[in-house]
Amino acid sequence: MHAITLLFSSLFIPTASAAGSATTGSDPETGLAFWRYEAEGILFELNQRLPDQTRAFFQARGFDTDAANQFATSCVFQSRLVNMAVAGGASLHFNLNEWKIISGNKSFLMATTDDWMPRWKKQSIGQAARIAFKWSLLPTEQTYAPGDYNWGMTSYDQPPGTRFNLTLIWHREGRRESATIRNIECPADSPQETP
Amino acid sequence: MAIPTMRRQLSATLLMLCTLLFQPVQAAGSSQLLQALPERPTAGDFHLTDLDGTEHRLSSYRGRVVIVNFWATWCPPCREEMPSMQRAWELLEPEGIIMLAINIGEDEDTIFQFTANFPVEFPLLLDQDSATIQSWPVRGLPTTYVVDPQGRLVYRAIGGRAWDDPALLDRVRALK
Repeated sequence: MHAITLLFSSLFIPTASAAGSATTGSDPETGLAFWRYEAEGILFELNQRLPDQTRAFFQARGFDTDAANQFATSCVFQSRLVNMAVAGGASLHFNLNEWKIISGNKSFLMATTDDWMPRWKKQSIGQAARIAFKWSLLPTEQTYAPGDYNWGMTSYDQPPGTRFNLTLIWHREGRRESATIRNIECPADSPQETP
Repeated sequence: MAIPTMRRQLSATLLMLCTLLFQPVQAAGSSQLLQALPERPTAGDFHLTDLDGTEHRLSSYRGRVVIVNFWATWCPPCREEMPSMQRAWELLEPEGIIMLAINIGEDEDTIFQFTANFPVEFPLLLDQDSATIQSWPVRGLPTTYVVDPQGRLVYRAIGGRAWDDPALLDRVRALK
């Protein structure tokens, strides 16, 4: 179903490739890698989150070990999306369900809050934990006025260590624009202690 | 004597160049913009308790300008904007403007510990079941609305702001 959606969206919706630049590097303190895309009026940034960090965050908020591990090993990044336009500039709309992950010649969609929340309910994760989860992810869909931004986790539903290309899509003044960040690497997992 | 003078002139020129170069970046990156909401929809009423046990009903502040901020302790930009909200509160409270920061999903102990590092005097309200935030048009934290004296949503800011910015405060004050 997702593959069909991707095929149709790729074929029939005209998209302008934005003239921006993607950069990568690593945090000098943590050694964790980051990827950043910047073009006129938009900034998107991905910072690796170690699975241990993510496990600890959600276990501290009521997730059991298994559920925290499911999310922590789903290729999670701390993300920031900013409408960099100055006053009077255009609003920027995005929907993560339009974004495309390409890994090993296959296309995938992102795993958004809407994908994860039913899983947590089914696994009887408590209400407080589910609330923390919902609000700690980057919103699935959002419209930013100039100066608006969000921080939040994003999940790419890929095994630790996977490399992938990410095509970002956003809408501005009636135009659908896109850019691709290449060779993003899911954070590696450390060996888990056996009980 | 001439060399120090030249150095000073060079330093001044470099400083001016840096200022000119970085000004637009700052304006875009740490923007103090508030998005005006032309439709001015009516703000959803809520009835929440603060950390001291005092109850706050939004509709009871009708006739006054209210800044309503949605936040959580684990949210980096929420933490970052808190000190500026406190500074803004110190300026606005004597003028009769209300500021309410609604915490999402956390308990009193967590928020109390947070205030040890981020001391604030404006009310911190508890929306533990997230019913209030879900009834407002909010999709990410922090999000802040400015409510006018008629109880309408007039401005919105998604992401943190420096709330003590004079230009931003003037727009809030103009609603009185």
